[in-house]
Amino acid sequence: MGKTTGFKEFSRAVEPYRPAKERVLDFKEIYTDHDDEKLAIQGARCMDCGVPFCQSGEGCPVYNLIPEWNDLVYQNKWEEAFDKLMQTNNFPEVTGRVCPAVCEGACVLGITESPVAIKNLEFAIADKGFQNGWLKPHIPQERTGKTIAIVGSGPAGLSAAQQLNSVGHSVKVYERADRIGGLMMYGIPNMKLDKSIIDQRLEVMKVEGIEFFTNADVGGEGDNSVSMDDLYNNNDVVLLTTGATKPRDLPIPNREVEGVHFAMDFLRTNTKSLLDSDHNDGTYISAKDKNVIVIGGGDTGTDCIGTSLRHGCKSLINFEIMPEPPKERADNNPWPLFPRVYKVDYGHEESREIYGNDPRVYSISGKEFLRNDDGTLKGIKTVEVDQNFQEIPGTEKDWEADLILLAMGFLGPEQYTVEGLDLETDERSNYKAEHNVHQTSDEKIFAAGDCRRGQSLVVWAINEGRAAAREIDRHLMGVTSLK
Amino acid sequence: MKKFKLKNKYRFGFPKKRGLYDPQFEKDSCGVGLVANIKGIPSRKIMDDAFQVNSKMDHRGGCGFEENTGDGAGILVALPDNFFRSEASVLGIDLPSFGSYAVGNVFLPVDDEERTKCYQIIDETIKSEGQKCLGWRDVPVDADKADVGPASRKAQPVIKQLFIEANSNLTQDEFDRKLYIIRKQISHLIRGDESFNEGKLFYVCSLSSSVIVYKGMLTPAQLFPFYPDLESVDFETHLAMVHSRFSTNTFPSWDRAQPNRYMCHNGEINTLKGNMNAMKARQGTVRSDLFGDDIEKLFPIAELDCTDSGSFDNVLEFLMLSGRSLQESIMMMIPEAWQSDKNMSDKKKAFYQFSSSMIEPWDGPASIVFTDGRKVGAVLDRNGLRPSRYYLTEDDNVIMASEVGVLPVDPSKVIKKGRLQPGKMFLIDFSKGEMIPDEDIKTEIVNQHDYEQWNRAIVSLDDLKAEKEAEYISESLISRMRAFGYTTETMQFMLMPLVSELRDPLGSMGNDAALACLSDKPRLIFDYFKQLFAQVTNPPIDSIREEVIMSLECLIGPEGNLLENDKNNVKRLRVDNPILSNTELNQIKNLTIEGWNTRTIDLTYNIDDGLEGMKKRLEEICSEAEQAIQDECSFIILSDRNISNSVMTLSSLMACSSIHHHLVQRQLRTKIGIIIETGEAREVHHHCLLFGYGADAINPYLAFESLFQALQDGSLTDENLPNNQAIVEAYKKGTKKGILKVMAKMGISTLHSYKGAQIFEAVGLSDEIIEKSFPGTASRVGGITFDALFNEQKRRHDLGYPKEEINVTTLPNPGDFHWRNGGDSHMWDPKTISSLQLAARTNNEDAYWEFAKHANEVSTKQSSLRGLLKFKSNNQPIEIDEVESEKEIVKRFATGAMSLGSISTESHESLAIAMNQLGGKSNTGEGGEDPIRFKTNDDGVSKRSAIKQVASGRFGVTMRYLTNSDELQIKISQGAKPGEGGELPGKKVDDYIAKIRHSTPGVGLISPPPHHDIYSIEDIAQLIHDLKNANRTSRISVKLVSEVGVGTVAAGVVKAKTDHLVIAGHDGGTGASPLTSIKHAGLPWELGVAETHQTLVMNNLRSRVVLQTDGQIKTGRDVAIAALLGAEEFGFATAPLVTLGCIMMRKCHLNTCPVGIATQDKELRKKFKGKPEHVVNYLFMVAKDLRMIMAELGFKTVNEMIGRVDCLETDIAIDHWKRNGLDFSKILQPAEKIFENTEVYNIKEQNHGLDKALDNELLEKCESAIKSGEKVSFDSPILNINRTVGTMLSNEVAKVWEENNLPEDTININFTGSAGQSFAAWLVKGITFKLEGDANDYVGKGLSGGKLIIYPPKESKFTAEENILLGNVALYGATGGEAYFRGIAAERFCVRNSGASVVVEGIGDHGCEYMTGGKAVILGETGRNFGAGMSGGIAYIYNQNKDFDKKCNKETFEIESLMDEDLEDLKKLITNHFNYTESTVAKNILENWSDESKKFLKIMPTDYKRVLNEMKTKLQSNG
Repeated sequence: MGKTTGFKEFSRAVEPYRPAKERVLDFKEIYTDHDDEKLAIQGARCMDCGVPFCQSGEGCPVYNLIPEWNDLVYQNKWEEAFDKLMQTNNFPEVTGRVCPAVCEGACVLGITESPVAIKNLEFAIADKGFQNGWLKPHIPQERTGKTIAIVGSGPAGLSAAQQLNSVGHSVKVYERADRIGGLMMYGIPNMKLDKSIIDQRLEVMKVEGIEFFTNADVGGEGDNSVSMDDLYNNNDVVLLTTGATKPRDLPIPNREVEGVHFAMDFLRTNTKSLLDSDHNDGTYISAKDKNVIVIGGGDTGTDCIGTSLRHGCKSLINFEIMPEPPKERADNNPWPLFPRVYKVDYGHEESREIYGNDPRVYSISGKEFLRNDDGTLKGIKTVEVDQNFQEIPGTEKDWEADLILLAMGFLGPEQYTVEGLDLETDERSNYKAEHNVHQTSDEKIFAAGDCRRGQSLVVWAINEGRAAAREIDRHLMGVTSLK
Repeated sequence: MKKFKLKNKYRFGFPKKRGLYDPQFEKDSCGVGLVANIKGIPSRKIMDDAFQVNSKMDHRGGCGFEENTGDGAGILVALPDNFFRSEASVLGIDLPSFGSYAVGNVFLPVDDEERTKCYQIIDETIKSEGQKCLGWRDVPVDADKADVGPASRKAQPVIKQLFIEANSNLTQDEFDRKLYIIRKQISHLIRGDESFNEGKLFYVCSLSSSVIVYKGMLTPAQLFPFYPDLESVDFETHLAMVHSRFSTNTFPSWDRAQPNRYMCHNGEINTLKGNMNAMKARQGTVRSDLFGDDIEKLFPIAELDCTDSGSFDNVLEFLMLSGRSLQESIMMMIPEAWQSDKNMSDKKKAFYQFSSSMIEPWDGPASIVFTDGRKVGAVLDRNGLRPSRYYLTEDDNVIMASEVGVLPVDPSKVIKKGRLQPGKMFLIDFSKGEMIPDEDIKTEIVNQHDYEQWNRAIVSLDDLKAEKEAEYISESLISRMRAFGYTTETMQFMLMPLVSELRDPLGSMGNDAALACLSDKPRLIFDYFKQLFAQVTNPPIDSIREEVIMSLECLIGPEGNLLENDKNNVKRLRVDNPILSNTELNQIKNLTIEGWNTRTIDLTYNIDDGLEGMKKRLEEICSEAEQAIQDECSFIILSDRNISNSVMTLSSLMACSSIHHHLVQRQLRTKIGIIIETGEAREVHHHCLLFGYGADAINPYLAFESLFQALQDGSLTDENLPNNQAIVEAYKKGTKKGILKVMAKMGISTLHSYKGAQIFEAVGLSDEIIEKSFPGTASRVGGITFDALFNEQKRRHDLGYPKEEINVTTLPNPGDFHWRNGGDSHMWDPKTISSLQLAARTNNEDAYWEFAKHANEVSTKQSSLRGLLKFKSNNQPIEIDEVESEKEIVKRFATGAMSLGSISTESHESLAIAMNQLGGKSNTGEGGEDPIRFKTNDDGVSKRSAIKQVASGRFGVTMRYLTNSDELQIKISQGAKPGEGGELPGKKVDDYIAKIRHSTPGVGLISPPPHHDIYSIEDIAQLIHDLKNANRTSRISVKLVSEVGVGTVAAGVVKAKTDHLVIAGHDGGTGASPLTSIKHAGLPWELGVAETHQTLVMNNLRSRVVLQTDGQIKTGRDVAIAALLGAEEFGFATAPLVTLGCIMMRKCHLNTCPVGIATQDKELRKKFKGKPEHVVNYLFMVAKDLRMIMAELGFKTVNEMIGRVDCLETDIAIDHWKRNGLDFSKILQPAEKIFENTEVYNIKEQNHGLDKALDNELLEKCESAIKSGEKVSFDSPILNINRTVGTMLSNEVAKVWEENNLPEDTININFTGSAGQSFAAWLVKGITFKLEGDANDYVGKGLSGGKLIIYPPKESKFTAEENILLGNVALYGATGGEAYFRGIAAERFCVRNSGASVVVEGIGDHGCEYMTGGKAVILGETGRNFGAGMSGGIAYIYNQNKDFDKKCNKETFEIESLMDEDLEDLKKLITNHFNYTESTVAKNILENWSDESKKFLKIMPTDYKRVLNEMKTKLQSNG
């Protein structure tokens, strides 16, 4: 498999993004076209390990058959690679684009060299599958007569839906937003994940027989509400995949000032307006000509940076409470753990290109929002913190800002969905259910994804969705053939 | 003397099967000797000489824990007519004329009543056969005078002589046949009668009109004093055959002593089971006019409870008495390696081919001496695996024995010194009064008939008309592949490499995957079988370098009558390679040969019939096969081709074996050929199993199709494989090589004998399955039933033909070789690896516990036998402080033998530093060690490996190396590849490695499968003795691998005086080994350790030896279990490597280890991040882990735990569908103490008898030379009992002159006589040995710079260059020095020489095999297969007869003519030779140099030449 000495001969190379200066002008995907030959070389770097950590629990959460498809790419057998990829991953077209690639962190080659460009290969394989029409609906031959309602159409819900449907159950997916996809639709901006990709996938799922309901707010109170009781009574199982959508707030003085937004609101309205009207309807929070500060150094923070730049912001700062990560793995972060090291993501790169500097400021914490006399946002007062997040006296500083975006993560699911059902939750307010069991304290209700495990990655959501589907199938049928 | 007592119930014969001990694996080996007068003139002198001969081979026999209880000794002589006549007359018996009466030596029950019953039975039988019993004589015995040990006395039978008079109508031949019928009947009646308590004591040593056998459980020296008859002056003979036995046990057994009735045997029949089955089957077809209906009385032909030698004797007797000559019968049973012998005459080949149509070879190492009183002869097995030397004297005496020098003979009277050569025979015909050479004996026999003409009746596959080409892919390939258990790994690791590399593919790092009986995956039944292999008691064969003796060719189809040389016997189908292409199978299916028919038996059954359907079908096919025979079919084809959606198929293996055994039982098996048409078998292991259980040929159609598919879809891209035809050819070639290797592992050289030999052990199959389908196969832990077998089959079938419409376009990957998520469990999975690395690097105990918990509770539990055990405390727990300290415990730890070469310098040194820091021991592995490491650094860091391994390649095994050791480990086998030598791919042999190994950079190194100086148990005793001489302070260790019978082998090795034993598990790692071996050879150490401990305790040998085990030991729990099963030391290999960074890449064999461990790539080595502390941290945590378990179980010391199986029980909480049938009771059986005062762990030292060494004298005389380099020179007589002379001396020199720098010729010793084995072993520089006389085996073994000169006695009249001067395997593993031999050396001269310059005047077969350095000048004939695998050094051959071309193995070298510099070199060596030995050959060459020098050829290894050229170019460019 692969090329025996490939890892010695070739260096790691990932496909470049479009030039930063060019790509910030639009919301089209930042990626460039795939180059088969170069990808084959990357496939040749795979060492076909005796113990492939990449595909183990230490690596890929959905146990992608990484060594297998690395080799198939090397052999130029794309369709077979796509087949293998589809065996373990319901949405490689998404993870290939947005996954932080835990697999690469666990890649054995990464012990002494740069890891194999696994994510890139996954991305290319998935794209090939979509472009060449290898993605085909698999319609179950027989229906079991069992029905399952899935609440939430993020990656956990959709992968569960796909799995359950594949073995003949009837699946209905309820989504409170106007479009299916959850975070994949409104959480991740278009330049990272073009929404037509989601649509293409949904088309297939619909053909397979999955029913989707948008603007269906389960347990909600508005016009578009759907009764949880109805779902509970009319289905054999209800699966909660509502995500962890309660954002973490920054409760410092003047929090209520206009101009401070949660990142998700910023990103969601942006994408919706883009899709609805190509931003012509003006129903989004614009960063144009504003001094923008993004608080929070995660992927969402980066997406806020990228979006603000595309809006045409005036300046851009990104706060991170953690210290700047080391360039190489620290002792307490050994392989095969996910490496916590300094990286430059697309937003950072764009910011550097445009403003000449990296937007990130580390070990910093907001003390107080500053407001102009007119009540509008003036900026923020910060203080530097040490490693234990203790303030360092005398390091206060005021920053000017017209727009501050809070991208500090999420706390847990919004509980209104299940109000009255008396489900047990854990100490972090997630629905209580064991991983790989997924049954909650109510035997008819299962939970998966961020609403069970807390905020996490798309790939973990897929893992959870698949596991929940498997357990639901076992629960309903006594046995299961789902993996 | 009365210290040890035998408990009463073990008086007679072996203990019964108990626990893991099984008497059927008892082995023995021996010294044999023969003294005779060629003219047939009896004398007393022959008797006295015979006594001398036997006593001088005392060291080849064995004794147990009692010095005066031998393993057995005996003598066969021509019936002394005068002696018996007078003895009989004393009893009032008047003997008729010589030839008309018989005397029998009979062992009888001690119990009077039972004995009386015996007399009655015997009397009646004699009468009913029309002969007359003349009476009985009490054989005088004197146990006191002979000082016979108590154990032997206790088991002693009553010994009497029986006199029978022939019916006057009978000729002597007819009388002998009657005696045979009588003996067979009384044996069956008495030994087979359960109502006798002492029936097994009854035994007829001999009953003959011409010879008589005296024997007993005695040492050779006790034999004559014990039997006063033998010392009587009237007891005269012209012929005496003697035998001393070395058995692997200490249990008393009088009847197993040899000689047998017609022969005695030094060796072992490896194919016994197959031979016995075949003989049983032939009982249905044998007919003889000489016996008529009486033939039935002889059955079973081979008696059930005798040794392999006994069985051989039975069959030899049967062949001989039914009309064939002694020598022809021997030729049939031990044929030469005729198939690929380029030098053999066509007539002889024709005879052998003809005889192969009737009987398969009895294969295995053998030196056999045989006689019928009128002739005496001897023969050696086809590969010459036993020594046999003889002298012929002026006064017509011949002395033949395993060694020379056993009888002092006046050198001036010797007219011929010879040896038996592989496959050759010698014969003395007393009636003619001459010794007949091999060629003459055989010429006569092969000309009896026109066999060449007869053999034209043989049908070859080519003679059959092909119906049509059938190499294509059929429908639903993927479904069928899935249903037969194909995975992506099958293609990736097995099939595609097999056809590309034309060999069984390589892998590395051992097998850590679940045993089949613990696996959740539906495993093929093939996976439940483990290949057995030869260790110690007989050697594995090098099937590659010694291919000349290997053969797959078989005649298949109905056999004729064994007892008649009928030309119709040979009308059979000749199959050269038993793997049949589809086309070939079609040919057999559609036979058009007259009288031949083929019937196909369909193995499928309806899926809906389920388990019952499977069982029913299994019954049916047996009847169908029987029916086919009744319908006169010649072949049956068992086919699973019809598998489909709705029908499942029986496993081809189960079907084949069931039918085979069914037909054997009904004595029908030889009437038909069994051919397997299967989708199931595809790997070498599968094919070997099918052959081992009776298949005659196999058509693995699915393997072919899957490869055709791989070619079609572009997965298989190999320019040598352009089409399907090429694939079939390649597959046949690759599997052939693999099959030969598996056979060779067990020391078997022909498929003909391997067939049906069942050289396998099952792990995890229940008695139900074994009894029905695989009778006679060991399966010691029980296991799955037909039910589970069916389930597995069904699951596989469902994979191929799923109920749901899912995609079956690809193959699954269940992670058998490489770990896969959701795949089969592996002991090394991501979690164990990462947590262990964290624990070791940061000394993080929490991480260790996480590792240990996962390893114990998940990975080990799902993979290994010990995972299913749990502790049971019978003691009060104690405080942990009371348990011995971690510091003490870690001293019991050793790291595994990983050679420098297989792993990098960095890793190798880290392990050594760590173990030295710890107080444990690291192991060099078999690659030698850089002498720089022998000295401790100034900072106290020592890189010296305490254990120096001595493996078959002897790489870098110099005296200096041996001197710098604390333990010398003889690696007989290793867990990952028992029965095979190590392989170091050329990529890993860089300059440094090559220097240490004395080999050629860039050239792959292969250690021979056998140690060429260990072909038997007495040989290992010799090597142990050699090594002990080489370093008296080192303990000697022998490393074995677990397999059924290893306990018995271990007992033998302990008797051979090892101080230390390692029993390795099958799952140990390796740098490179065929996957077949990694996966399918050897057994878990749990079985091996328990069996060894049980057997050693039973034999009261346990206290003499330290027992160590290794094989995937990782945690304190593993160590505790090993201790409770009987081990007191523990080896770790993979785990320490993991602490140093190994992540189980399994790429060691490719040199691409990305973490710098198993690689010599300079760039990759830079990536090594391990530190010795990591290993130290880890092992201390293991020790702590162990202490906690000890505290809980209430043990203060490890010694207290040893063998305490009562503290273990089966973990019944483990619920698994396959595990229910597993039964650990045999493992958990407490060791039985048969002898009183038996200790269960090492408390005493072995007595190596070094005080008797001649070197003690030499040392005294050389003291000043050693101290100050003063020159000494003196004379010394030498005898064959002076073994390993010069080695102790060399050791002392090496201690003082560390750099091997004692000036040349400082010590000069001139010996006279016959040197014992291992003369001048590891002789160092500065010492010169001259020997006038001759020498035995292993002369100059490991020569380390010394000088060695041997020539015949000056007064001897024979021509030196035509006579044998030294024995086998001279200069094995020599690394330097010079040697000059005026005379011929026997087989395997200069094997693995890597530095010595040697001149000799003729050599036997396999000369200069695997040579990697030095020079060999051969001034005479070479045997066959010269230079096989030679990769370095130069040989000069004096090709006077211009026949060298046919005798050499040119695969690795070129034959060149000599350049000027060569001539100079050669001339110097020949001049030395002349100066030292006065050789007339040398003189003649030197005197006629210009002509004679042109007759020399230069043997230049291709790779060596390349390297020399590279060096030249380098020098030039630098210069």
